[in-house]
Amino acid sequence: MSRLDTKKPSLCKSEPLTSERVRTTLSVLKRIVTSCYGPSGRLKQLRNGSGGYVCTTSQSSALLSHLSVTHPILKILTTSVQNHVSSFSDCGLFTAILCCNLIENVQRLGLTPTTVINLNKHLLSLCISYLKSETCGCRIPVDFSSTQILLCLVRSILTSKPACTLTRAETEHVSALILRAFLLTIPENAEGHIILGKSLIVPLKGQRVIDSTVLPGILIEMSEVQLMRLIPIKKSTALKVALFCTTLSGDISDTGEGTVVLSYGVSLENAVLDQLLNLGRQLVSDHVDLVLCQKVIHPSLKQFLNMHRVIAIDRIGVTLMEPLTKMTGTQPIGSLGSISPNSYGSVKEVCTAKFGSKHFVHLIPNEATICSLLLCNRNDTAWDELKLTCQTALHVLQLTLKEPWALLGGGCTETHLAAYIRHKTHNNPESILKDDECTQTELQLIAEAFCSALESVVGSLEHDGGEILTDMKYGHLWSVQADSPCLVNWPDLLSQCGCGLYNSQEELSWSFLRSTRHPFVPQTCLSHEAVGSVSNLTLDCLTAKLSGLQVAVETANLILDLSYVIEDKN
Amino acid sequence: MLSSMAAAGSVKAALQVTEVLEAIVSCCVGPEGRQVLCTKPTGEVLLSRNGGRLLEALHLEHPIARMIVDCVSSHLKKTGDGAKTFIIYLCRLLRGLHAFTEREKDSLMCENIQMYGRHWKNCCQWKFISQALLTFQTQVLDGIMDQYLSRHFLSIFSSAKERTLCRSSLELLLEAYFCGRVGRNNHKFISQLMCDYFFKCMTCKSGIDVFELVDDCFVELNVGVTGLPVSDSRIIAGLVLQKDFSMYCPADGDIRMVIVTETIQPLFSTSGSEFILNSEAQFQTSQFWIIEKTKAIMKHLHSQNVKLLLSSVRQPDFVIYYAGVNGISVVECLSSEEISLIQRIVGLSPFVLPHAFSQCEISNTALVKFCKPLILRSRRYVHLGLISTCTFIPHCIVLCGPVQGLIEQHEDALHGAFKMLQQLFKDLDLNYVTQANDQNDTASLFICKNSGESYRVPDAGNGSIQKPYPDTVVENKDELEKTQTYLKAYSNLAISDVELETCIPYSTPKLTPADTFQTDETLRCLSLEENSLIGDYEALLKSSSTAYSTRGNSGIEICYENLQVTNITGKGGLLPMSYKLQNMGTSQSYLSSSVPAGCVLPVGGNFEILLHYYLLNYAKKCHQSEETMVSMIIANALLGIPKVLYKSKTGKDSFPHMYVRALHALQTNQPIVSSQAGLESVTGKCQLLTSVLQCLTQILTIDLVITVKRHPQKIHSQDSEDEL
Repeated sequence: MSRLDTKKPSLCKSEPLTSERVRTTLSVLKRIVTSCYGPSGRLKQLRNGSGGYVCTTSQSSALLSHLSVTHPILKILTTSVQNHVSSFSDCGLFTAILCCNLIENVQRLGLTPTTVINLNKHLLSLCISYLKSETCGCRIPVDFSSTQILLCLVRSILTSKPACTLTRAETEHVSALILRAFLLTIPENAEGHIILGKSLIVPLKGQRVIDSTVLPGILIEMSEVQLMRLIPIKKSTALKVALFCTTLSGDISDTGEGTVVLSYGVSLENAVLDQLLNLGRQLVSDHVDLVLCQKVIHPSLKQFLNMHRVIAIDRIGVTLMEPLTKMTGTQPIGSLGSISPNSYGSVKEVCTAKFGSKHFVHLIPNEATICSLLLCNRNDTAWDELKLTCQTALHVLQLTLKEPWALLGGGCTETHLAAYIRHKTHNNPESILKDDECTQTELQLIAEAFCSALESVVGSLEHDGGEILTDMKYGHLWSVQADSPCLVNWPDLLSQCGCGLYNSQEELSWSFLRSTRHPFVPQTCLSHEAVGSVSNLTLDCLTAKLSGLQVAVETANLILDLSYVIEDKN
Repeated sequence: MLSSMAAAGSVKAALQVTEVLEAIVSCCVGPEGRQVLCTKPTGEVLLSRNGGRLLEALHLEHPIARMIVDCVSSHLKKTGDGAKTFIIYLCRLLRGLHAFTEREKDSLMCENIQMYGRHWKNCCQWKFISQALLTFQTQVLDGIMDQYLSRHFLSIFSSAKERTLCRSSLELLLEAYFCGRVGRNNHKFISQLMCDYFFKCMTCKSGIDVFELVDDCFVELNVGVTGLPVSDSRIIAGLVLQKDFSMYCPADGDIRMVIVTETIQPLFSTSGSEFILNSEAQFQTSQFWIIEKTKAIMKHLHSQNVKLLLSSVRQPDFVIYYAGVNGISVVECLSSEEISLIQRIVGLSPFVLPHAFSQCEISNTALVKFCKPLILRSRRYVHLGLISTCTFIPHCIVLCGPVQGLIEQHEDALHGAFKMLQQLFKDLDLNYVTQANDQNDTASLFICKNSGESYRVPDAGNGSIQKPYPDTVVENKDELEKTQTYLKAYSNLAISDVELETCIPYSTPKLTPADTFQTDETLRCLSLEENSLIGDYEALLKSSSTAYSTRGNSGIEICYENLQVTNITGKGGLLPMSYKLQNMGTSQSYLSSSVPAGCVLPVGGNFEILLHYYLLNYAKKCHQSEETMVSMIIANALLGIPKVLYKSKTGKDSFPHMYVRALHALQTNQPIVSSQAGLESVTGKCQLLTSVLQCLTQILTIDLVITVKRHPQKIHSQDSEDEL
């Protein structure tokens, strides 16, 4: 068979953004992502028309990986969001919504792409430098000596994923577990350069969330029958461990490219088995207590080891190899012949454990940075969502360790930032227009488009028809329920701002987010007393949000710059 | 019967095709150009402003279009730049030709010729024109370049003799290049990145060979990371391999490495041989022997302080385990490209396993500064601090971007920039025919009749520093081989007598705005390979003068032009330069000269307008009508580029204003003021023009396009081979 088709010519379209089809698909995507955003976001059920797995989610990573996008422009957008999520875990929806908003807002203006891209870039660098500056009014330092802020950070992530279906008590429990799991991965005596350990998430579906727990060390799942055969060892000293990465099943290893001719009656299997038993003898004489093998152990060898009161566990799998190496301090052994005594490691204790319906062998380390997070949830989809959320939270904690700052969440950062940009472009446009050929009017237009894009991101936090307001002092976000009576005193209706830092008892003035306002100077420099007094803050990860902001603006610029789309039809 | 399948290959058809292509590419040209999104058949998306890529992505069907695409890609293979300009030139040339023949046809309308007869007649006419084009290109164009245009050339080198490259001039050159290649919000950043990379990789002795190495191994020298903003891209010292360690043992101090291309563990049998096992004991002893042997090799490597093993094949588990026991890190499955890159950098040949094992020294090991894992966005890479034995200092570029398509675009552009620089560092030969009395045009030259003596630059007016003229007689012994090749090349020509015209390297004029950073710029200047040109030419002069001394002509004349430094105000480390090698014999003489390495002109259509002006001048003096016509058509086609570049400008910056100003400046011998900062390579432009004219002559010589309704045979056979 051979392909005889000549290549079909490609389809070439000019000015793709002006086409109606692109606009509709973009707005559909925007509707999907905005409706998922925030703690009250709507869930999406994704299923394949021909059956199979159903996924209920409101997270960008699950959502975008299941959507099959065909239009190249949309593909650029979704892949750039996905790439952002895979490196920072958090702020995917924020990035997607901001990007869509920017494209939409800017297109309405009808300015040339050059101006738009230039000015967007300037506004972005203004945002970044503000968020990184000392005077920034919407970020707080993270204090690792107390758990308060870290817990707030984890809790904010958990509450923003409604598909996990957690109650308030469960949220508190899981947040505490995640934080503990993270803290267990930090080495105790670190000098200079810290290498974090790993938290392994062990699935336990169908159990109550409250049953979730964190254990130091590694859990290896086993069937009950296998577990019965294991003879528990009681020893006061640490147990000696040998970890094999090569197969111990008695296969004959690579014999080379040529042929091997066997004389009649020669059984290589026996020869190899002899070799395996020799290995077993060596292990026994080296006083090894526990033999772990990534692949399969030959039953005879297993029996031999059991007879000599050595625990043998096989089929561990490649994923557990690295944490096991790290935890036990072994060197994975790739030889059936001679084993260097330095290759053995140790664990403190081996015990069996039963969680729900599953049986595990629990390896408890002497001191190590590996822990297992046993995660329970009622059903598969909720568990999947919870697992993703836990991974996100753990990653966010790691990022925060690198850059110990957090941004105020609940939309307050966005409204504050928008107020800051408005004020900057209004009062000091010369500093932005230094070397460009853009006019002040163009700057005002683009800045307005940029700020309203930011504000509509937080506008989509509200899904129940409520109103969103912003105060004229801090530039924070306040939301009002939909069915509240109009014409009442605002302070009675509003209790707390989005992040929970300020309450309405102060003398503040409010205005609707969508209305036109005079630019004002949002208060910069957060005071430490203000932060310390509040126990329940909503926080966002600084690193992830900064990158999300950058990626959103860069992607929007990229899409706005397109003049042609050439589609390969082969 | 044929006529149903054959279409007349006319200029009109070609024009229609190129006009469509021009519409697409002209939107990506220049600093105002925009991006094009291409999808691959696999569904991946690619962003591009690269003309070559776009033409390929279109999968054109029209035979003439395919021919054009072929011409473009063969041009790109050579120079790495100019695909979009190629299409624009070609389109304008065809349009010019078409308009010209339409006019002729109108006058011939009264003649009543049969349909086919007229077509054939047209074809003859095209053939005639194409020959005229070819003669013009081979005999006249280079002459205009050499005699008129060369006086406007600037050099990118701050010192012509030593090929010192100044950072500020390289920045100008690269920024102009990337303006046309990457998105407008990234071009500054990418050109800075490239500049940094260039200066970090080069030593003072680096030359053309470094460009070749980078060009060949560009894929291995950069790492793409998606999901991060473009501004996170950076340069990393050392080499990054896109693999993870199979075994990593932290080591410091004296780290040595070896390269192997076969498994270290001996196998039972090699291909083509048989291994006969007679007993189980034999099997066990041979396995024992294998293990002992492998252990011994690893021990030996350990005793030689080898801490890193690079392997092009997969090593058995046992080897990796034993490497770990001996504290040797292992990287497996390296591609042949990676191996050859490492070999080129450190000059190391693979370690051959000793068959009869002895305790001899392993000679082929190399020192490594460090070897450690590098984590980029949760993927692990191998990071090696190789100690270079050649003139290339290994560095890698980490390219970040939100999507893969953008990273690929940047990678492409950086690769193209290296190709462009490689071309720029070479001389371009010019060969042409001229009339003897044309020499009057270069009347402004100041000729000194002397040879082999040191000159001093006369005071250039406003405080430029004097510098002795480097002694031209000194011959570079190291370059003797090169000189001989030059001699061979030139000895084919009928050389009667030689005139060398060169200029003196000026030190940069002091300019107030550039003053402050110039001092530290010059510190950062790295001198590149010493330019052997002058030496070569000297040798050439000698040989040719001895060969033709019987003629008793005027001998050797070394002249230098006192070119005005003031006409390049603002461009710090540049200096005007021109070498000329002429043979003056009878009234019709063959001349050969060259555009020297490093010639540049300011961007923004300067080259086109200059050449346009001189071609028009030439056309006025021409006697033959077809020569006039050809030079007029080329001259007008050249304006296509500046027209596209100035499309969005209005008022005083619009194209007509700029054009009139430039012509006026040329007529009154004043310097042309360019609105844009930035430089472009002259060599690239010259090569491009030649390629376009050659493509055009090819198109014109076609009279019929015959469509064959049969599957392409060649592709068929290739495909079936692949499947086997």
